[in-house]
Amino acid sequence: MSSVPTSRVNTALEDSIPEAGASLESILCTEELQRRPSRPPDYEKENRGLVALMSALADSPSTIFQTLAETILDITQSDSAGLSLLTRDGKKPDVCGKRFYWPAIAGMWNPHVGGGTPRNFGPCGDVLDQNRTLLFRHFERRYPYLMPVIPAAEECLLVPFYVAGEAAGTIWAIMHGDRRKFDAEDDRVMASLGKFASSAYQALMHIEDLKFQVSEREKAEAEVRELARGLEAKIRRLVEANVVGIVMWNLEGAITGANEAFLRMVQYDVEDIVSSRVRWTELTPAEWRDRDERAITELKTTGIFQPFEKEYFRKDGSRVPVLLGGALFEGDGNDGVAFVLDLTEQKLAQEKLQDAQQSLYATQVDLARVSRLTTMGELAASIAHEVNQPLTAVTNNASACLRLLTDRNLDPEVLRRALEEIVADGARASAVISRIRTFIKKTPAEKNKLDINEAIQEVLALAGHELEKNRILVECQMTKTLPLVWADRIQLQQVLLNLIMNGIEAMTAVTDRPRVLWVQSRIDESGDILVAVRDSGIGFGSEADRVFTPFFTTKPNGMGMGLPISRSLVEDHGGRLWAKPNVPHGALFSFILPVAEGVCS
Amino acid sequence: MNGAPVVFVIDDDPSVRSSLKFLIGTVGLHVETFDSAETALQGLSPDTPSCLVLDVRLRGLSGLDLQHELAARNCQVPIVFITGHGDIPMSVRAMKAGAVEFLTKPFRDQDLLDAVRVALEQDRTRREQEKEITELQQRFESLTAREREVISMVAAGKLNKQIADQLGTAENTIKVHRSRAMDKMHAQSVADLVRMIEKLKGLSNA
Repeated sequence: MSSVPTSRVNTALEDSIPEAGASLESILCTEELQRRPSRPPDYEKENRGLVALMSALADSPSTIFQTLAETILDITQSDSAGLSLLTRDGKKPDVCGKRFYWPAIAGMWNPHVGGGTPRNFGPCGDVLDQNRTLLFRHFERRYPYLMPVIPAAEECLLVPFYVAGEAAGTIWAIMHGDRRKFDAEDDRVMASLGKFASSAYQALMHIEDLKFQVSEREKAEAEVRELARGLEAKIRRLVEANVVGIVMWNLEGAITGANEAFLRMVQYDVEDIVSSRVRWTELTPAEWRDRDERAITELKTTGIFQPFEKEYFRKDGSRVPVLLGGALFEGDGNDGVAFVLDLTEQKLAQEKLQDAQQSLYATQVDLARVSRLTTMGELAASIAHEVNQPLTAVTNNASACLRLLTDRNLDPEVLRRALEEIVADGARASAVISRIRTFIKKTPAEKNKLDINEAIQEVLALAGHELEKNRILVECQMTKTLPLVWADRIQLQQVLLNLIMNGIEAMTAVTDRPRVLWVQSRIDESGDILVAVRDSGIGFGSEADRVFTPFFTTKPNGMGMGLPISRSLVEDHGGRLWAKPNVPHGALFSFILPVAEGVCS
Repeated sequence: MNGAPVVFVIDDDPSVRSSLKFLIGTVGLHVETFDSAETALQGLSPDTPSCLVLDVRLRGLSGLDLQHELAARNCQVPIVFITGHGDIPMSVRAMKAGAVEFLTKPFRDQDLLDAVRVALEQDRTRREQEKEITELQQRFESLTAREREVISMVAAGKLNKQIADQLGTAENTIKVHRSRAMDKMHAQSVADLVRMIEKLKGLSNA
């Protein structure tokens, strides 16, 4: 109990044990309470006090301690009355607190409300230590800390104040003079009112706590509501922006809601959704049902399904490619939401890209063909020139000789020289031919085990553009699991490409019958691999064998080198290449290749 | 002008050159050979009656280039083209530029010799025409101004009297001018004179 200004209470003083003043026994006179004549209980006053406490509790709970102090002051007819509570934070009663504070004081010491003392610096500590009512006389004799507090306490009655069954403070009444002495009735009524006040306080604290919890919860809920409002606005913005399709559904197949973007995608009206006419199960083409099932399984285990591509039927029965991903709502695990992206543009772009790649490929094939033809054309031109020169010389010389013979005007020496030149030019022409042979065979073969069917398919793909352009139907009759052959892939494909291109070119003029290119692979009677290429083109009549003669050609711009070179390549592979007229139209080219030892595709 | 015609063979292939010389030589023609267009441009003698047997494909200037170059130099020697790998546009170009023939190697000997004969004939005709015109010019230049005036009017179909009236002189004077001019021009008849005057006109118009 202190009028000592807080500023004067320094920490060092509070933490130290006070210098022992007078002994506790010398200032206590508790036993006198029993000996003094006790005044009769004034129940009316006491009841008024209780009513006042009740009213305080009901109307202004924060004043309950002050009401208690005033009630005690009134009932005990003391000079000062108040409450000291142990506290740690200066506000809440706490049995482990190291300081007493004074939440309420009535009477003469009222100006000291809000002050307090360290736990062991006043009588309250002793009361709590002994856990019983104590009556002090001039306690400042023992507690120097309270010495300056005026007016001095003649007698002070302190009753423990319990919070939740534990002594957490004291209720006290003080007489500053000897107008009256405390008696047992004061003890009883203070204990009784203290008990009530303690209960009221605890109820109050409980209510405060509840209030606090409620307000905390309300705050949290408000935050959540705020968050939800923000989130909802954001989600609504997303839904209404219609940049992606949003659809709400349940696992039974119903569509419970959808945004414009989704409706546009599938070309339905909002009425179709509202009336439940549209079900997502029915929007899904049969071949996508399995994929949907997988998504539902995923939903049931994880609550979401990862985005996947599928198709929906539009109202007009056409299909729209979409990317779909979604999640189940929390709750019964039956309803969910999904985003839907229209992939039409992407698919178109993809197709365009594929087309572009295809046409690039076709161009490459064309280029390859052109360069093949150019190479062949240049080769042919060069052959023509190279062979023509000696041939011209031979013809000229021989013609001149004939003329001189006819004129019987022949000088043997002139004839000899001419014939020598003829021989030399003949040799020169033949050297040209052998150079061409060497040129053709110049590239060394790189032979590997390969699957003839694969090679055929690749060449057909290579010639795909030409086949399409000339509206030629390809019929393949490939025998599966043929043994591998030992061959140079490039050379073999050159042969195949040559036969196929020949077939195509032979059919370009055909208009009165289907243009069919027929390709077969099989094992022939001798166990070799046989490949046959047949066309329904103009054919070559009875000149089947001549087609392999260099420079023989049935084509207006042909140079007659393709087949001789092809035959030479096949023979290099230990095989044979031959031709037959096809009945009723076209040509049939076949070649055989020996099987590579000990392998099977 | 020298009498014996010459065939100039231009081909970069020695065998072909020599065989052509041999073949063309069998019909008694004189042959000179060149292995390129450039050497031919230096060696050709424009005053000799001649023709060219010219390979299209040559190292350096091609046969077609040489044809172009000769035309630019106003050298009108007839050309027989020979080629190992001719195509239609190439032959059209050559023929349009005045080639006599375009033969693909190897050719029949008779075809070449015929072409050479035609070419030499063409050259001979052209030279004769040139010679005649030169002579006519020389004769025309020997006329007096009055004689030229008179025979121009004669050639235009005017009568002596009309000419006399127009020139303001006597008809007999015109007759004398006319007779002298006819003599100087070696004209046998008025028709002959008219033809000569036309030729000269054609030359001056060209």
